[in-house]
Amino acid sequence: MSDALSISNLRKVYRGGVVGVDNVSFRVARGDFFGFLGPNGAGKSTTIHCITGIATITSGVIEVFGVDVVGRYREARRLIGLSAQEFNVYTFATCADILDWSASYFGIPKGERRKRVADMLERFGLAEHAKKEFRQLSGGLKRRLVLARALVHDPELLILDEPTAGVDVELRHELWEFLRELNRAGKTIFLTSHYLEEVAQLCRTIAIVSNGKLARLASRDDYLRDGGLEAAYLAAAGRKPVLMRSNDDNTDDTR
Amino acid sequence: MTAALAINWVGLGTMVRREASRMMRVPIQVFIAPWISALLFIFIFGYVVGGRIATIAGHRYLEFVLPGILMMNIVNSSFLQSSSQVYFSRFQRYVEEILVAPLSYVEMIAGSLAVVVARTTVTAIGILLMGLAFGVTAMHSLPEFLFWIVAISISFGLLGIIIGLWAKNFEQLNVLTVFFIAPLSMVGGVFNTIGMLPKFLRWLAYLNPFFYFSTGLRHAMIGFSEGGEAIGIAVTLGLMTTLALIVWRLYAVGWGLRE
Repeated sequence: MSDALSISNLRKVYRGGVVGVDNVSFRVARGDFFGFLGPNGAGKSTTIHCITGIATITSGVIEVFGVDVVGRYREARRLIGLSAQEFNVYTFATCADILDWSASYFGIPKGERRKRVADMLERFGLAEHAKKEFRQLSGGLKRRLVLARALVHDPELLILDEPTAGVDVELRHELWEFLRELNRAGKTIFLTSHYLEEVAQLCRTIAIVSNGKLARLASRDDYLRDGGLEAAYLAAAGRKPVLMRSNDDNTDDTR
Repeated sequence: MTAALAINWVGLGTMVRREASRMMRVPIQVFIAPWISALLFIFIFGYVVGGRIATIAGHRYLEFVLPGILMMNIVNSSFLQSSSQVYFSRFQRYVEEILVAPLSYVEMIAGSLAVVVARTTVTAIGILLMGLAFGVTAMHSLPEFLFWIVAISISFGLLGIIIGLWAKNFEQLNVLTVFFIAPLSMVGGVFNTIGMLPKFLRWLAYLNPFFYFSTGLRHAMIGFSEGGEAIGIAVTLGLMTTLALIVWRLYAVGWGLRE
Protein backbone atom coordinates (compact mmCIF):
# COMPACT_ATOMS: atom_id res chain seq x y z
CA MET A 1 0.00 0.00 0.00
CA SER A 2 1.41 3.43 -0.94
CA ASP A 3 2.38 6.01 1.65
CA ALA A 4 0.17 9.00 2.36
CA LEU A 5 2.97 11.23 1.15
CA SER A 6 6.18 10.37 -0.63
CA ILE A 7 8.75 13.03 -1.51
CA SER A 8 11.79 12.00 -3.56
CA ASN A 9 14.73 14.30 -4.25
CA LEU A 10 12.62 17.43 -4.11
CA ARG A 11 14.44 20.55 -5.20
CA LYS A 12 12.92 23.98 -5.50
CA VAL A 13 14.91 26.89 -6.87
CA TYR A 14 13.19 30.27 -7.03
CA ARG A 15 13.69 32.82 -9.75
CA GLY A 16 16.94 34.58 -8.96
CA GLY A 17 18.59 31.33 -7.92
CA VAL A 18 17.48 31.16 -4.27
CA VAL A 19 17.28 27.50 -3.25
CA GLY A 20 14.15 26.89 -1.17
CA VAL A 21 14.42 23.13 -0.83
CA ASP A 22 17.49 21.10 -1.73
CA ASN A 23 17.21 17.39 -2.50
CA VAL A 24 14.75 16.50 0.24
CA SER A 25 13.32 12.98 0.46
CA PHE A 26 11.01 11.46 3.07
CA ARG A 27 7.80 9.51 3.46
CA VAL A 28 4.75 9.92 5.62
CA ALA A 29 2.91 6.70 6.46
CA ARG A 30 -0.87 6.48 6.18
CA GLY A 31 -2.56 7.53 9.40
CA ASP A 32 0.60 9.16 10.79
CA PHE A 33 0.66 12.46 12.65
CA PHE A 34 3.79 13.95 11.10
CA GLY A 35 5.60 17.03 12.39
CA PHE A 36 7.71 19.17 10.08
CA LEU A 37 9.97 21.53 11.97
CA GLY A 38 12.58 24.07 11.11
CA PRO A 39 13.58 27.69 11.63
CA ASN A 40 12.14 30.51 9.50
CA GLY A 41 13.25 30.17 5.89
CA ALA A 42 14.25 26.52 6.34
CA GLY A 43 11.97 25.33 3.54
CA LYS A 44 8.85 24.17 5.42
CA SER A 45 6.30 26.32 3.60
CA THR A 46 8.13 25.83 0.29
CA THR A 47 7.78 22.05 0.68
CA ILE A 48 4.08 22.45 1.49
CA HIS A 49 3.59 24.74 -1.49
CA CYS A 50 5.24 22.17 -3.75
CA ILE A 51 2.96 19.41 -2.41
CA THR A 52 -0.21 21.46 -2.86
CA GLY A 53 0.54 23.11 -6.21
CA ILE A 54 1.05 26.66 -4.95
CA ALA A 55 4.68 26.40 -6.07
CA THR A 56 6.16 24.65 -9.07
CA ILE A 57 8.71 21.89 -8.52
CA THR A 58 12.20 22.37 -9.99
CA SER A 59 13.02 18.65 -9.82
CA GLY A 60 11.99 15.56 -7.89
CA VAL A 61 8.76 13.66 -7.43
CA ILE A 62 5.93 14.09 -4.94
CA GLU A 63 3.18 11.51 -4.61
CA VAL A 64 0.09 11.64 -2.43
CA PHE A 65 -1.35 8.16 -1.82
CA GLY A 66 0.59 7.05 -4.91
CA VAL A 67 -0.75 9.88 -7.10
CA ASP A 68 1.82 12.17 -8.73
CA VAL A 69 1.02 15.78 -7.75
CA VAL A 70 2.25 17.10 -11.11
CA GLY A 71 1.23 14.49 -13.66
CA ARG A 72 -2.16 13.75 -12.06
CA TYR A 73 -2.60 17.01 -10.18
CA ARG A 74 -6.39 17.03 -10.21
CA GLU A 75 -6.65 13.63 -8.57
CA ALA A 76 -3.88 14.46 -6.10
CA ARG A 77 -5.52 17.72 -5.02
CA ARG A 78 -8.79 15.99 -4.12
CA LEU A 79 -6.84 14.04 -1.49
CA ILE A 80 -5.27 17.10 0.17
CA GLY A 81 -6.69 19.72 2.51
CA LEU A 82 -4.48 22.75 3.18
CA SER A 83 -4.66 25.20 6.05
CA ALA A 84 -2.13 27.79 4.91
CA GLN A 85 0.04 29.88 7.20
CA GLU A 86 -1.16 33.14 5.69
CA PHE A 87 -4.84 33.92 5.29
CA ASN A 88 -5.37 33.29 1.56
CA VAL A 89 -9.02 34.27 1.61
CA TYR A 90 -11.23 36.74 -0.26
CA THR A 91 -11.69 39.01 2.73
CA PHE A 92 -15.11 40.38 1.72
CA ALA A 93 -16.69 36.92 1.59
CA THR A 94 -18.74 35.58 4.48
CA CYS A 95 -17.72 32.52 6.50
CA ALA A 96 -20.54 30.47 4.95
CA ASP A 97 -19.57 31.52 1.42
CA ILE A 98 -15.88 30.75 1.96
CA LEU A 99 -16.70 27.20 3.03
CA ASP A 100 -19.35 26.76 0.35
CA TRP A 101 -17.06 28.00 -2.43
CA SER A 102 -14.19 25.84 -1.27
CA ALA A 103 -16.39 22.72 -1.20
CA SER A 104 -17.64 23.63 -4.69
CA TYR A 105 -14.13 23.86 -6.12
CA PHE A 106 -13.76 20.23 -5.09
CA GLY A 107 -16.91 19.37 -7.05
CA ILE A 108 -19.21 18.64 -4.11
CA PRO A 109 -22.85 18.99 -5.21
CA LYS A 110 -25.19 21.52 -3.61
CA GLY A 111 -27.19 19.30 -1.22
CA GLU A 112 -24.10 17.58 0.18
CA ARG A 113 -22.30 20.91 0.35
CA ARG A 114 -24.98 22.53 2.49
CA LYS A 115 -24.74 19.71 5.02
CA ARG A 116 -20.95 19.87 5.15
CA VAL A 117 -20.84 23.64 5.48
CA ALA A 118 -23.40 23.57 8.31
CA ASP A 119 -21.45 20.77 10.00
CA MET A 120 -18.13 22.66 9.74
CA LEU A 121 -19.64 25.90 11.00
CA GLU A 122 -21.08 24.03 13.97
CA ARG A 123 -17.97 21.99 14.70
CA PHE A 124 -15.66 25.01 14.68
CA GLY A 125 -17.98 27.29 16.66
CA LEU A 126 -18.57 29.52 13.64
CA ALA A 127 -22.34 29.07 13.24
CA GLU A 128 -23.18 32.43 14.82
CA HIS A 129 -20.59 34.11 12.57
CA ALA A 130 -21.76 32.44 9.35
CA LYS A 131 -22.95 35.69 7.77
CA LYS A 132 -19.97 37.78 8.91
CA GLU A 133 -17.34 38.74 6.38
CA PHE A 134 -13.87 37.27 6.89
CA ARG A 135 -12.34 40.70 7.59
CA GLN A 136 -14.78 41.18 10.50
CA LEU A 137 -13.57 38.07 12.35
CA SER A 138 -11.03 37.96 15.17
CA GLY A 139 -7.66 36.26 14.59
CA GLY A 140 -8.78 33.09 16.36
CA LEU A 141 -11.99 32.84 14.34
CA LYS A 142 -10.06 33.40 11.11
CA ARG A 143 -7.72 30.55 12.04
CA ARG A 144 -10.70 28.28 12.77
CA LEU A 145 -12.29 29.16 9.46
CA VAL A 146 -9.23 28.33 7.35
CA LEU A 147 -8.95 25.02 9.20
CA ALA A 148 -12.64 24.31 8.54
CA ARG A 149 -12.07 25.20 4.89
CA ALA A 150 -9.22 22.69 4.68
CA LEU A 151 -11.54 19.97 5.95
CA VAL A 152 -14.75 20.78 4.11
CA HIS A 153 -14.06 18.34 1.24
CA ASP A 154 -13.07 15.57 3.66
CA PRO A 155 -9.43 15.13 2.49
CA GLU A 156 -7.33 12.08 3.36
CA LEU A 157 -4.18 14.14 3.94
CA LEU A 158 -4.49 17.28 6.02
CA ILE A 159 -1.62 19.76 5.71
CA LEU A 160 -1.48 22.36 8.45
CA ASP A 161 1.02 25.19 8.12
CA GLU A 162 1.26 26.89 11.52
CA PRO A 163 -2.42 26.21 12.34
CA THR A 164 -2.27 27.67 15.84
CA ALA A 165 -0.22 30.79 15.08
CA GLY A 166 -1.81 33.75 16.82
CA VAL A 167 -4.53 31.84 18.68
CA ASP A 168 -5.01 31.87 22.44
CA VAL A 169 -4.00 28.97 24.67
CA GLU A 170 -7.57 27.78 25.20
CA LEU A 171 -8.32 27.55 21.49
CA ARG A 172 -4.96 25.96 20.83
CA HIS A 173 -5.79 23.14 23.22
CA GLU A 174 -9.24 22.78 21.65
CA LEU A 175 -7.63 22.50 18.21
CA TRP A 176 -5.12 19.94 19.47
CA GLU A 177 -7.93 17.76 20.75
CA PHE A 178 -9.79 18.13 17.48
CA LEU A 179 -6.70 17.19 15.46
CA ARG A 180 -6.08 14.14 17.64
CA GLU A 181 -9.69 13.11 17.03
CA LEU A 182 -9.24 13.50 13.27
CA ASN A 183 -6.04 11.47 13.36
CA ARG A 184 -7.73 8.72 15.39
CA ALA A 185 -10.43 8.65 12.72
CA GLY A 186 -7.74 7.73 10.18
CA LYS A 187 -6.73 11.07 8.64
CA THR A 188 -3.03 11.57 7.96
CA ILE A 189 -1.86 14.91 9.34
CA PHE A 190 1.20 16.86 8.25
CA LEU A 191 1.88 19.68 10.68
CA THR A 192 4.36 22.53 10.76
CA SER A 193 4.60 24.68 13.83
CA HIS A 194 6.97 26.97 15.65
CA TYR A 195 5.69 25.61 18.95
CA LEU A 196 7.92 22.64 19.75
CA GLU A 197 5.59 21.71 22.59
CA GLU A 198 2.74 21.42 20.10
CA VAL A 199 4.71 19.12 17.81
CA ALA A 200 5.93 17.04 20.74
CA GLN A 201 2.36 16.69 22.05
CA LEU A 202 0.75 15.75 18.76
CA CYS A 203 3.20 14.16 16.34
CA ARG A 204 4.48 10.59 16.28
CA THR A 205 7.08 11.18 13.56
CA ILE A 206 9.06 14.40 13.28
CA ALA A 207 11.30 15.76 10.54
CA ILE A 208 13.57 18.76 11.03
CA VAL A 209 14.67 20.83 8.07
CA SER A 210 17.37 23.45 7.99
CA ASN A 211 18.67 25.53 5.07
CA GLY A 212 16.43 23.63 2.67
CA LYS A 213 17.82 20.22 3.65
CA LEU A 214 16.42 17.44 5.77
CA ALA A 215 18.48 17.51 8.98
CA ARG A 216 16.82 14.67 10.89
CA LEU A 217 13.83 12.36 10.65
CA ALA A 218 12.91 10.18 13.62
CA SER A 219 10.07 9.14 15.88
CA ARG A 220 9.11 11.39 18.77
CA ASP A 221 10.36 8.72 21.18
CA ASP A 222 13.78 8.74 19.54
CA TYR A 223 14.03 12.52 19.94
CA LEU A 224 13.03 12.26 23.59
CA ARG A 225 15.56 9.52 24.18
CA ASP A 226 18.33 11.60 22.59
CA GLY A 227 18.01 14.70 24.75
CA GLY A 228 14.69 16.14 23.65
CA LEU A 229 13.14 17.82 20.65
CA GLU A 230 14.42 21.30 21.48
CA ALA A 231 18.03 20.18 21.60
CA ALA A 232 17.65 18.36 18.28
CA TYR A 233 15.96 21.40 16.75
CA LEU A 234 18.68 23.78 17.90
CA ALA A 235 21.41 21.41 16.76
CA ALA A 236 19.78 21.19 13.32
CA ALA A 237 19.57 24.97 13.18
CA GLY A 238 23.24 25.19 14.13
CA ARG A 239 22.59 26.89 17.46
CA LYS A 240 23.41 26.08 21.04
CA PRO A 241 20.83 26.24 23.82
CA VAL A 242 20.97 29.50 25.81
CA LEU A 243 20.67 28.83 29.54
CA MET A 244 18.50 31.25 31.54
CA ARG A 245 20.15 32.74 34.61
CA SER A 246 18.23 32.79 37.85
CA ASN A 247 17.71 36.03 39.87
CA ASP A 248 20.09 34.99 42.63
CA ASP A 249 22.85 34.33 40.16
CA ASN A 250 25.94 36.05 41.60
CA THR A 251 27.82 36.23 38.38
CA ASP A 252 26.14 39.49 37.43
CA ASP A 253 28.47 41.41 35.14
CA THR A 254 26.39 44.56 34.68
CA ARG A 255 28.56 46.66 36.97
CA MET B 1 -14.81 9.70 -19.44
CA THR B 2 -12.38 9.31 -16.55
CA ALA B 3 -12.59 11.49 -13.46
CA ALA B 4 -9.31 13.14 -14.44
CA LEU B 5 -10.72 14.37 -17.74
CA ALA B 6 -14.27 15.19 -16.61
CA ILE B 7 -15.12 18.86 -16.41
CA ASN B 8 -15.56 20.13 -12.84
CA TRP B 9 -18.82 21.97 -13.58
CA VAL B 10 -19.56 22.64 -9.91
CA GLY B 11 -16.15 24.24 -9.40
CA LEU B 12 -16.36 26.15 -12.65
CA GLY B 13 -19.81 27.48 -11.76
CA THR B 14 -18.53 28.58 -8.36
CA MET B 15 -15.63 30.50 -9.88
CA VAL B 16 -18.22 32.43 -11.88
CA ARG B 17 -20.48 32.86 -8.83
CA ARG B 18 -17.63 34.13 -6.66
CA GLU B 19 -16.39 36.60 -9.25
CA ALA B 20 -19.94 37.80 -9.95
CA SER B 21 -20.34 38.46 -6.23
CA ARG B 22 -17.07 40.46 -6.21
CA MET B 23 -18.22 42.38 -9.28
CA MET B 24 -21.62 43.20 -7.78
CA ARG B 25 -19.94 44.91 -4.83
CA VAL B 26 -19.12 47.77 -7.22
CA PRO B 27 -22.14 48.05 -9.57
CA ILE B 28 -21.59 51.76 -10.23
CA GLN B 29 -18.08 51.12 -11.54
CA VAL B 30 -19.12 47.98 -13.43
CA PHE B 31 -22.36 49.00 -15.13
CA ILE B 32 -23.47 52.53 -14.33
CA ALA B 33 -20.19 54.21 -15.37
CA PRO B 34 -20.14 52.81 -18.95
CA TRP B 35 -23.86 53.50 -19.38
CA ILE B 36 -23.48 57.11 -18.22
CA SER B 37 -20.45 57.52 -20.48
CA ALA B 38 -22.49 56.20 -23.45
CA LEU B 39 -25.37 58.49 -22.53
CA LEU B 40 -23.03 61.50 -22.53
CA PHE B 41 -21.69 60.51 -25.95
CA ILE B 42 -25.28 60.24 -27.23
CA PHE B 43 -26.02 63.73 -25.90
CA ILE B 44 -22.80 65.32 -27.21
CA PHE B 45 -22.75 63.65 -30.63
CA GLY B 46 -26.50 63.58 -31.05
CA TYR B 47 -27.54 67.03 -29.94
CA VAL B 48 -24.42 69.21 -29.64
CA VAL B 49 -21.86 68.19 -32.29
CA GLY B 50 -23.94 65.83 -34.44
CA GLY B 51 -26.25 68.53 -35.77
CA ARG B 52 -23.30 70.34 -37.34
CA ILE B 53 -21.89 67.27 -39.11
CA ALA B 54 -23.26 66.03 -42.40
CA THR B 55 -24.53 62.45 -42.63
CA ILE B 56 -22.03 59.68 -43.32
CA ALA B 57 -23.16 57.24 -46.03
CA GLY B 58 -26.74 58.22 -45.33
CA HIS B 59 -26.47 57.77 -41.55
CA ARG B 60 -26.65 60.48 -38.92
CA TYR B 61 -23.31 61.05 -37.19
CA LEU B 62 -24.53 59.56 -33.89
CA GLU B 63 -25.75 56.43 -35.68
CA PHE B 64 -22.28 56.10 -37.17
CA VAL B 65 -20.44 56.72 -33.90
CA LEU B 66 -22.54 54.71 -31.41
CA PRO B 67 -21.27 51.21 -32.42
CA GLY B 68 -17.69 52.42 -31.87
CA ILE B 69 -18.61 53.87 -28.50
CA LEU B 70 -20.18 50.56 -27.56
CA MET B 71 -17.01 48.80 -28.71
CA MET B 72 -14.77 51.05 -26.57
CA ASN B 73 -16.94 50.36 -23.53
CA ILE B 74 -16.87 46.59 -23.90
CA VAL B 75 -13.11 46.64 -24.57
CA ASN B 76 -12.61 48.57 -21.30
CA SER B 77 -15.08 46.45 -19.34
CA SER B 78 -13.60 43.14 -20.43
CA PHE B 79 -10.01 44.24 -19.88
CA LEU B 80 -10.72 45.76 -16.45
CA GLN B 81 -12.76 42.76 -15.34
CA SER B 82 -10.17 40.10 -16.03
CA SER B 83 -7.05 42.11 -15.17
CA SER B 84 -8.44 43.22 -11.80
CA GLN B 85 -9.81 39.75 -11.05
CA VAL B 86 -6.45 38.07 -11.63
CA TYR B 87 -4.39 40.84 -10.04
CA PHE B 88 -6.45 41.09 -6.83
CA SER B 89 -6.63 37.34 -6.41
CA ARG B 90 -2.83 37.30 -6.53
CA PHE B 91 -2.48 40.40 -4.37
CA GLN B 92 -4.75 39.04 -1.62
CA ARG B 93 -3.48 35.49 -2.24
CA TYR B 94 -6.96 33.98 -2.59
CA VAL B 95 -5.82 32.65 -5.96
CA GLU B 96 -4.29 29.86 -3.83
CA GLU B 97 -7.83 28.59 -3.16
CA ILE B 98 -8.09 27.86 -6.87
CA LEU B 99 -4.52 26.58 -7.24
CA VAL B 100 -5.00 23.87 -4.58
CA ALA B 101 -8.37 22.80 -6.00
CA PRO B 102 -8.88 20.07 -8.62
CA LEU B 103 -9.52 22.57 -11.42
CA SER B 104 -7.74 22.32 -14.77
CA TYR B 105 -6.04 25.34 -16.32
CA VAL B 106 -8.72 25.47 -19.00
CA GLU B 107 -11.42 25.56 -16.31
CA MET B 108 -9.62 28.36 -14.47
CA ILE B 109 -9.37 30.42 -17.67
CA ALA B 110 -12.94 29.60 -18.75
CA GLY B 111 -14.22 30.64 -15.31
CA SER B 112 -12.56 34.04 -15.61
CA LEU B 113 -13.77 34.58 -19.18
CA ALA B 114 -17.37 33.56 -18.44
CA VAL B 115 -17.66 36.49 -16.01
CA VAL B 116 -16.02 38.82 -18.52
CA VAL B 117 -18.55 37.87 -21.22
CA ALA B 118 -21.47 38.19 -18.77
CA ARG B 119 -20.34 41.67 -17.68
CA THR B 120 -19.74 42.98 -21.18
CA THR B 121 -22.99 41.51 -22.54
CA VAL B 122 -24.99 43.33 -19.87
CA THR B 123 -23.02 46.53 -20.57
CA ALA B 124 -23.57 46.18 -24.33
CA ILE B 125 -27.28 45.43 -24.03
CA GLY B 126 -27.69 48.51 -21.80
CA ILE B 127 -26.00 50.76 -24.38
CA LEU B 128 -27.93 49.14 -27.22
CA LEU B 129 -31.25 49.72 -25.42
CA MET B 130 -30.30 53.36 -24.86
CA GLY B 131 -29.52 53.76 -28.55
CA LEU B 132 -32.82 52.12 -29.51
CA ALA B 133 -34.74 54.27 -27.01
CA PHE B 134 -33.27 57.45 -28.52
CA GLY B 135 -33.88 56.12 -32.03
CA VAL B 136 -30.20 56.38 -32.97
CA THR B 137 -29.40 52.75 -33.70
CA ALA B 138 -30.90 49.53 -35.00
CA MET B 139 -30.21 45.81 -35.07
CA HIS B 140 -29.21 44.82 -38.57
CA SER B 141 -27.91 41.35 -37.61
CA LEU B 142 -28.25 39.91 -34.10
CA PRO B 143 -25.88 36.92 -34.72
CA GLU B 144 -23.17 39.31 -35.97
CA PHE B 145 -23.77 41.59 -32.99
CA LEU B 146 -23.42 38.67 -30.55
CA PHE B 147 -20.34 37.39 -32.35
CA TRP B 148 -18.57 40.74 -32.02
CA ILE B 149 -19.57 41.24 -28.38
CA VAL B 150 -18.35 37.78 -27.39
CA ALA B 151 -15.21 37.86 -29.58
CA ILE B 152 -14.11 41.31 -28.37
CA SER B 153 -14.86 40.37 -24.75
CA ILE B 154 -12.85 37.17 -24.92
CA SER B 155 -9.91 38.82 -26.70
CA PHE B 156 -9.60 41.65 -24.18
CA GLY B 157 -10.47 39.34 -21.30
CA LEU B 158 -7.46 37.21 -22.28
CA LEU B 159 -5.27 40.29 -22.65
CA GLY B 160 -6.45 41.41 -19.19
CA ILE B 161 -5.47 38.04 -17.72
CA ILE B 162 -1.93 38.43 -19.11
CA ILE B 163 -1.62 41.92 -17.64
CA GLY B 164 -3.15 40.74 -14.34
CA LEU B 165 -0.50 38.01 -14.15
CA TRP B 166 2.30 40.38 -15.09
CA ALA B 167 1.45 43.44 -12.97
CA LYS B 168 3.40 43.94 -9.76
CA ASN B 169 1.41 47.00 -8.66
CA PHE B 170 -1.78 48.96 -9.44
CA GLU B 171 0.07 51.34 -11.73
CA GLN B 172 1.10 48.56 -14.10
CA LEU B 173 -2.52 47.45 -14.47
CA ASN B 174 -3.18 50.65 -16.41
CA VAL B 175 -0.17 50.49 -18.73
CA LEU B 176 -1.94 48.71 -21.56
CA THR B 177 -5.04 50.91 -21.34
CA VAL B 178 -3.04 54.15 -21.44
CA PHE B 179 -0.49 53.24 -24.12
CA PHE B 180 -2.35 50.76 -26.29
CA ILE B 181 -6.10 50.41 -25.86
CA ALA B 182 -7.07 54.09 -25.61
CA PRO B 183 -4.92 55.40 -28.51
CA LEU B 184 -5.68 52.52 -30.89
CA SER B 185 -9.41 52.63 -30.20
CA MET B 186 -9.48 56.40 -30.80
CA VAL B 187 -7.83 56.03 -34.22
CA GLY B 188 -9.68 52.80 -35.05
CA GLY B 189 -12.48 54.30 -37.09
CA VAL B 190 -14.79 55.03 -34.18
CA PHE B 191 -15.31 58.71 -35.01
CA ASN B 192 -14.48 58.78 -38.72
CA THR B 193 -14.47 56.69 -41.86
CA ILE B 194 -11.21 55.60 -43.40
CA GLY B 195 -12.05 57.84 -46.34
CA MET B 196 -11.78 60.87 -44.03
CA LEU B 197 -8.14 60.06 -43.25
CA PRO B 198 -5.29 61.46 -45.36
CA LYS B 199 -4.43 58.95 -48.09
CA PHE B 200 -0.96 58.19 -46.71
CA LEU B 201 -2.45 57.16 -43.33
CA ARG B 202 -5.25 54.91 -44.58
CA TRP B 203 -3.15 51.72 -44.63
CA LEU B 204 -2.52 52.20 -40.91
CA ALA B 205 -6.23 51.75 -40.18
CA TYR B 206 -6.18 48.31 -41.78
CA LEU B 207 -3.37 47.28 -39.42
CA ASN B 208 -5.38 48.37 -36.41
CA PRO B 209 -7.55 45.56 -34.97
CA PHE B 210 -9.87 48.16 -33.41
CA PHE B 211 -10.91 49.21 -36.92
CA TYR B 212 -12.27 45.70 -37.55
CA PHE B 213 -14.08 45.62 -34.19
CA SER B 214 -15.82 48.97 -34.74
CA THR B 215 -16.65 48.35 -38.37
CA GLY B 216 -17.90 44.84 -37.53
CA LEU B 217 -20.22 46.14 -34.83
CA ARG B 218 -21.34 49.00 -37.06
CA HIS B 219 -22.35 46.53 -39.74
CA ALA B 220 -24.17 44.39 -37.16
CA MET B 221 -26.08 47.39 -35.80
CA ILE B 222 -26.79 49.74 -38.71
CA GLY B 223 -25.73 47.67 -41.74
CA PHE B 224 -22.97 50.08 -42.79
CA SER B 225 -19.50 48.77 -43.50
CA GLU B 226 -16.30 50.07 -45.02
CA GLY B 227 -15.47 46.55 -46.13
CA GLY B 228 -13.08 43.95 -44.79
CA GLU B 229 -15.65 41.98 -42.73
CA ALA B 230 -14.10 38.64 -43.65
CA ILE B 231 -10.60 39.93 -42.83
CA GLY B 232 -11.98 41.36 -39.58
CA ILE B 233 -13.46 38.02 -38.51
CA ALA B 234 -10.24 36.22 -39.44
CA VAL B 235 -8.07 38.77 -37.59
CA THR B 236 -10.29 38.58 -34.49
CA LEU B 237 -10.40 34.77 -34.43
CA GLY B 238 -6.63 34.68 -34.97
CA LEU B 239 -6.06 37.19 -32.15
CA MET B 240 -8.38 35.26 -29.83
CA THR B 241 -6.70 31.92 -30.56
CA THR B 242 -3.19 33.33 -30.13
CA LEU B 243 -4.05 35.00 -26.84
CA ALA B 244 -5.85 31.86 -25.59
CA LEU B 245 -2.78 29.73 -26.31
CA ILE B 246 -0.50 32.24 -24.57
CA VAL B 247 -2.74 32.38 -21.49
CA TRP B 248 -3.08 28.58 -21.37
CA ARG B 249 0.71 28.27 -21.52
CA LEU B 250 1.18 30.86 -18.78
CA TYR B 251 -1.23 28.97 -16.52
CA ALA B 252 0.47 25.67 -17.32
CA VAL B 253 3.91 26.96 -16.31
CA GLY B 254 2.43 28.96 -13.42
CA TRP B 255 3.85 32.31 -14.60
CA GLY B 256 2.74 34.98 -12.14
CA LEU B 257 0.50 32.45 -10.39
CA ARG B 258 2.65 29.83 -8.74
CA GLU B 259 5.84 30.47 -6.80
